Amino acid sequence: MASATATYGQKESSDQNFDYMFKILIIGNSSVGKTSFLFRYADDSFTPAFVSTVGIDFKVKTIYRNDKRIKLQIWDTAGQERYRTITTAYYRGAMGFILMYDITNEESFNAVQDWSTQIKTYSWDNAQVLLVGNKCDMEDERVVAGERGRQLSEHLGFEFFEASAKDNINVKQTFERLVDIICEKMSESLDAGDPAVTGAKQGPQLTEQPAPPHQDCAC
Amino acid sequence: MDLTFLQTLERERVLEVLRRDKQLRTIEEDRIRRMKHDLQELRRRGAKSFSRQYGERTCARCQRPLGKLWNSGAVCHGCSHRICSKCRVGVGTADWKCTVCHAYRDVKFRSGEWFLEERAKKFPCTTDKYEVVGDKLLKTYNVLSHISVVPPTPPPYLLSDYAFLSRPGDLKNSKPFTKSMEDLMVSFTSHIKKISTSQNDVRGDLLSVDNRKGSCSTYSTQKSLSDTDINKSSRLFKGPSLPNLFKKSKDSDQEGSSTGAEEETSCGSEYSGGKRGSTCSSISTDCGLFEGVGVAGELELALSYNSDFSCLEITVGSCRNLSHGDSKKKCHPYIKLCMLPGKSSKMKTTVKKNMTNPVYNEVFKFPIERHLLRGKRLQASVWHSGTLRRKVFLGEALFPLDGWRFEDKNSQSFNWYPLCPKAQSSDGGAVEQDGGEAMLRVKFTSAEQGDLMQLSSFKSRQEKDTRRQII
Repeated sequence: MASATATYGQKESSDQNFDYMFKILIIGNSSVGKTSFLFRYADDSFTPAFVSTVGIDFKVKTIYRNDKRIKLQIWDTAGQERYRTITTAYYRGAMGFILMYDITNEESFNAVQDWSTQIKTYSWDNAQVLLVGNKCDMEDERVVAGERGRQLSEHLGFEFFEASAKDNINVKQTFERLVDIICEKMSESLDAGDPAVTGAKQGPQLTEQPAPPHQDCAC
Repeated sequence: MDLTFLQTLERERVLEVLRRDKQLRTIEEDRIRRMKHDLQELRRRGAKSFSRQYGERTCARCQRPLGKLWNSGAVCHGCSHRICSKCRVGVGTADWKCTVCHAYRDVKFRSGEWFLEERAKKFPCTTDKYEVVGDKLLKTYNVLSHISVVPPTPPPYLLSDYAFLSRPGDLKNSKPFTKSMEDLMVSFTSHIKKISTSQNDVRGDLLSVDNRKGSCSTYSTQKSLSDTDINKSSRLFKGPSLPNLFKKSKDSDQEGSSTGAEEETSCGSEYSGGKRGSTCSSISTDCGLFEGVGVAGELELALSYNSDFSCLEITVGSCRNLSHGDSKKKCHPYIKLCMLPGKSSKMKTTVKKNMTNPVYNEVFKFPIERHLLRGKRLQASVWHSGTLRRKVFLGEALFPLDGWRFEDKNSQSFNWYPLCPKAQSSDGGAVEQDGGEAMLRVKFTSAEQGDLMQLSSFKSRQEKDTRRQII
């Protein structure tokens, strides 16, 4: 199974048949489940054993969203402090972030603020961030209430999900939501800076057809 | 950033990831290059030239005349050109764009340039830090892979956005062209310069080449040479016509002078790896010998590495659902394997007659050391072998050999890979083909020339436009 997905991955990375390519970075404390989250999404696999990521890694997945084929290069980073110099170098290339904490680990939640500062420092101004509380299947060991996560995310201006890589809860939704937000930012970026469109807006607006609403995800 | 603090094993892991990333980026750059080329093509088609003064009532895109009252066109908000109603994209009376402005916007999305622009607001430096760092690290730690296999006809080295990707070796390799070849190119270039027009879309770097040669004045005064003048002159050094020049180089081809292999005349220009400038990439699609057919179908292939004999074994299985090579619904497909970058090793399967689902089951062996596979890509392209040596491109698949898991049982067995297009432009019009011949020839006579080649091929394309517009 694992090897089958491996070849599939190779095929995907050499495939040129797509519309957009987005780069996404997953960050958060060590052992919150970043790698598992990515494996669940890209390969639909899960291993309970903990293997610390060395520096960085990535996986490629092509999805079909809003009538477009979007190739995602999803970077998985090491949470450990000692790799920080490597991982921060990759912030700049990322269009969106998944900032992850572990709902059974208070410390990882407390570090969210720091991670968010890191994003502000090293990434572009419009960086899209999704806050994800992972391991929501382990309700018995929960120490971070869902409400706290929500409040923090509102405070930071991120969207929020609780998810479980193990039980495959909200994993796909998280990535798809992030892709949607990036798509929105993408359209905005050109429309705002584009004199063509702003010029058009100065014209008679009443006769204009409203733009078709951007398709949002169901969550 | 340096990796000295990592242990050897860790460092290997990280480098492995960097290599995979680089592979991905190379492929992506390939894609972007094609996209930009297509856009350039679209722009060029509608470019105003001296024969049509600006303000004349024609559509800036399709060059169709516009009426005074009826179908009078409207000004595009993007480019401020007057556009007929057919060359608009988008809905509503006010919210439309001309085809080029629309394509430009689309390319910005598709290439990710929107992101680079946004990011540049915060970080003015344009290149990705990690990409540069990644490349540097790979270079530092990849001493072993300093390649010994030097392709006999390396791709031209172009000063382009992608230049930083090239290994320093490429520059040296591009030198050894003969003196006479150089003379020919110089004369050809200067000739073309005389007759080419001042185009709206001439790229900045090309202009700077003109300036450097100090020939700007002659360039502008002589540009009104008419089509007939061009055809009258027949001596190479006094200003040959394009068809004559084409013949000449064809003759020299038969004498086997420059590259030797006839193959190069038709296909050589294409196999160039992902390290070319955007203008040069156009060569492949515009050549008259290639007809634009839709790319469809899949290729079945197995890759394995034989460490006993130190060779890469490629088993070409079959293809399915290929497009037809010509209008008569004929398809005689064969598959060509090429190691990129460089085209040192090239192998072909047999030609299967009249099949869109050919079965080959042929095994090819590329003798190559395992570590030399780093940075290499295998290009498997499917071609239709038509009459009179005409070849039609049917699709290709690229296989990054870096990080290919040869030990993996699954990649050793057959897999189906979708065929991708090489480029989507080329509407295949007769006008396009005229100019294509000239470019084909240019490519052939000096396959190893970098800058100059780019200049001349670009100019010849311009000339084609000029001629069309004069007529």
